[in-house]
Amino acid sequence: MPFLDRRTLSQFNWSLLFLLLLLAGLGILNLYSAGTLRVDKGVTTSFYYQKQIFWFAIGLSAIPVIIIFNYRHLKEIVWPLYSVTIALLAYVLVFGTSISGAKRWVDLGPISFQPTELAKVSVILLIAALLSRISGPVGWKGLGGILGIVAIPVVLIFLQPDLGSGLNILMLVGGMLLFKGISKRVFLTCLVGLPLLAPGAWFMLLDYQKERILTFLHPHMDPLGAGYNTIQSQIAVGSGQVWGKGFLEGTQSQLRFLPAKHTDFAFSVFGEEWGFVGCIFLLALFCLFLYQLVVVAGTSKDAFGSYIVCGVFFYFFWQVLINIGMVLGLMPIVGIPLPFFSYGGSSTLINCILLGLVFSISMRRYIFTQK
Amino acid sequence: MIGSDPREPSSKGYKLLQVLVLALFCLVLLRLWHLQVLQGEEYVDKARQNLMRERSIYPLRGAIRARNGEILAENKPAYALGLVREDCNNIEAALSRVSDWTGISLQKLEKRYNKGKSQVDPFKPIILVQSLPFSQLARIETRLMSWAGLQIISRPKRHYPQTPVFSHVLGYVAQANQQELRNHPQVQSGDNIGKRGLEQALDNRLRGEKGREILEVDAQGRVLKERVIARPESGETVRLTIDADLQRFIWREMDKQAGAVVVMRPHNGNVLALVSKPGYDGNAFVEGISEQKWHKLLSNRRDPLRNRAVQSTYPPGSVFKLVIASAALSRKAVPLDKQLHCPGFYRLGNRVFHCWKEEGHGDVALKEAIKQSCDVYFYKLGEKLGIDAISQYARSNGFHQETGILLPDENQGLIPGREWKKRHIGRSWQGGDTLNTAIGQGYTLVTPIQMARYVAALLNGGYLLRPNLLARKEPKQRGRLPLSGEELNFLLRSMRATVEEPHGTAWRLRTRDAVIGGKTGTAQVIKLKDKFLDQETEVIPYKYRDHAWMVSYGIKGQKKYVVAALIEHGGHGSSAAGPLVKSIYDYLFH
Repeated sequence: MPFLDRRTLSQFNWSLLFLLLLLAGLGILNLYSAGTLRVDKGVTTSFYYQKQIFWFAIGLSAIPVIIIFNYRHLKEIVWPLYSVTIALLAYVLVFGTSISGAKRWVDLGPISFQPTELAKVSVILLIAALLSRISGPVGWKGLGGILGIVAIPVVLIFLQPDLGSGLNILMLVGGMLLFKGISKRVFLTCLVGLPLLAPGAWFMLLDYQKERILTFLHPHMDPLGAGYNTIQSQIAVGSGQVWGKGFLEGTQSQLRFLPAKHTDFAFSVFGEEWGFVGCIFLLALFCLFLYQLVVVAGTSKDAFGSYIVCGVFFYFFWQVLINIGMVLGLMPIVGIPLPFFSYGGSSTLINCILLGLVFSISMRRYIFTQK
Repeated sequence: MIGSDPREPSSKGYKLLQVLVLALFCLVLLRLWHLQVLQGEEYVDKARQNLMRERSIYPLRGAIRARNGEILAENKPAYALGLVREDCNNIEAALSRVSDWTGISLQKLEKRYNKGKSQVDPFKPIILVQSLPFSQLARIETRLMSWAGLQIISRPKRHYPQTPVFSHVLGYVAQANQQELRNHPQVQSGDNIGKRGLEQALDNRLRGEKGREILEVDAQGRVLKERVIARPESGETVRLTIDADLQRFIWREMDKQAGAVVVMRPHNGNVLALVSKPGYDGNAFVEGISEQKWHKLLSNRRDPLRNRAVQSTYPPGSVFKLVIASAALSRKAVPLDKQLHCPGFYRLGNRVFHCWKEEGHGDVALKEAIKQSCDVYFYKLGEKLGIDAISQYARSNGFHQETGILLPDENQGLIPGREWKKRHIGRSWQGGDTLNTAIGQGYTLVTPIQMARYVAALLNGGYLLRPNLLARKEPKQRGRLPLSGEELNFLLRSMRATVEEPHGTAWRLRTRDAVIGGKTGTAQVIKLKDKFLDQETEVIPYKYRDHAWMVSYGIKGQKKYVVAALIEHGGHGSSAAGPLVKSIYDYLFH
């Protein structure tokens, strides 16, 4: 049986692809600059951007493979996939390779791989499948079940510890629930109840995580210590002014004042070098990209697909919001990357895989009328 | 199964997503506007401050040379180790590492660091080690890269190759204290500043001007680029009138004695030698003197830090008779040939004042009285002049005032008067006070440099010149003796007679091939107790011995010199200071 017919192929979402390529291109360009350091009189460029190109190329080539398979078949493997994910997360906690204090990596010989990224995909798929089976707004029972399912991988991820990814999963699931619709009673109870849980959550945070939140509230308490990242990234973005300092001209980034500038703080490099105008352009691109996802979610012909795209939407949405918010000093520092801009092989690959799903769903929106 | 599920998500869901995207856009846009457009300039400044550091380039301090060009104070390259605390993320670890490298105790380094913290800008280095030995320098430099905030600072270090012979002339440099920092805004904490001697007096000229360079650094404080924006300007080189060989010769001749010698040219006031003993090691201060050494210097009873030639005052003793004599001449108080009788004592009321010569000098005129240093003659002369005239005259002859020599903390000495005694002693002036003043005892105090200048004035026609230490400087007149050429000649002849004629007290200076004139003096330290009376100097304990004066001039052809010497606790002027001054003339005229 043909996985793709001409009709399906003709529905390919070109604008989404265009936005993806544009964002990835800008991201790689920015990484080139972020990896550049001025040393003595010359300049050295690290190879982050090359590695990013490599991973993006792999991700791009994965997209057609995903498109070929009909996403509806995924519904049948959501539970096995979820189980494998839990197993890997547990494995990584015990045997994982530790990088800067956190156990996140499974070493597979030549490449290493983060099960956390897999968790994002499998949670989106599982929750999408579950939501599509529930009719009407989600009540207490549905909410409890979904939270219970999400809690296991999230707790395992928190233990690594990787606060950012765990929160990202929690929040994207929350977004999906809101999208689906929650019964009024449940919604109001949560609205009142969640803030009451906050003090409890505070005690579960690790010291460095508490410190980050405190320094977000008072960054100038310790300008060379914990508040350093926030202050320096705001200086970088702010000093870009309207037109920016120009490509490769950012003093903050070139002179190493910016922390983690090729990963979490990539946007501040962009803001410094391209200024307000460049930032607005990039922001508009991200918003158009997200809007495309909304369109696909809205035109999807089945709820499962719709919920998947919704999950992907929130996956990207929260990352963009939190990362840029953190760089601009609107939010505490959480290790959440900016999609396509922050360096990272696993996340680049997972971004492409998730978008592959979106392409697949987008192309099959007319499949029922054909049936 | 596939596709059987109904279209579930409500249109509310899509609205939610759209609103979220719009909210994201607006929120970030507003924040970007705020950061980049409204506060952009502010952040540009911050970014610039981030990466620009200003650093001082230390100038070379001007050298000090003797008249023949010999170097007395110079600069040597030195490398200090500093810590920029804003660049250092672990001060404790950095300090303990420096302690490992240099062997300086951690406690000491912490003390220096804490002291520097209150004085040095956060982005400027606190000096931890003033001067690294070469053996450590290379080793430390290679390891510095991994210690952000630590840096080696090159700055010239002062060196005195001829210390301690020149210590009182030169003084020394040492780290500026709080008060000096306030008074000299160009001097920064940790900088050296001239203390004592010419280093202090000429500090502004010697110091030079610091250059500035802008450093572009990264977040670890690593220097990426240096740009000099102001070159340092070296301080002025100063050449002195001091004859280094003569100075050394006198230093050697004085041996272990404490005292001062000034050799001066009478016609221009140039100082050829200014020796004060004991001296100190000026180099010990340059890198910060140890507390132990400093206390040792301060508690030394011979006070090596005091420049006896200009900062110490002594009763002039009989050398003051020259001043009394010239006062008598200028006021025509007594005819030159008028003889007064000396029975060996003088009675005033119910008190008896002795002449140093118990049996008396018999009938003596002024010249003879000077030559034999007859006390009774001068008692009578003093009584005739009265204290008001003596006091007023001596002060107008350059006493009780600074000579203006270019050395700090000069002592002006003391010429007493009625008013002075009322104010400072609280009693009224007595006739006996006048008699004591007339023979240079009592309250009167002078410095060796004042005496030298006075004798120079006798030789140069009466001009009180400022004693000069700097080569190629015009003489500066600060007063004039109210004496005619005839009267000056009389005094000079009297001094010559003191050396050349029988019974002259300065006979020890006698020499065949030059004209020498002199006057001895013995400055009483305390009223001698009966038990020391009549005993030889050697038997009296050192601290009770009198100070010995010898002021003199020597002329040979065109060469004219004034030599004033004071030997502390030397005993009698002639025996203690005489041979020393004689050897100086032998040296000058050899």
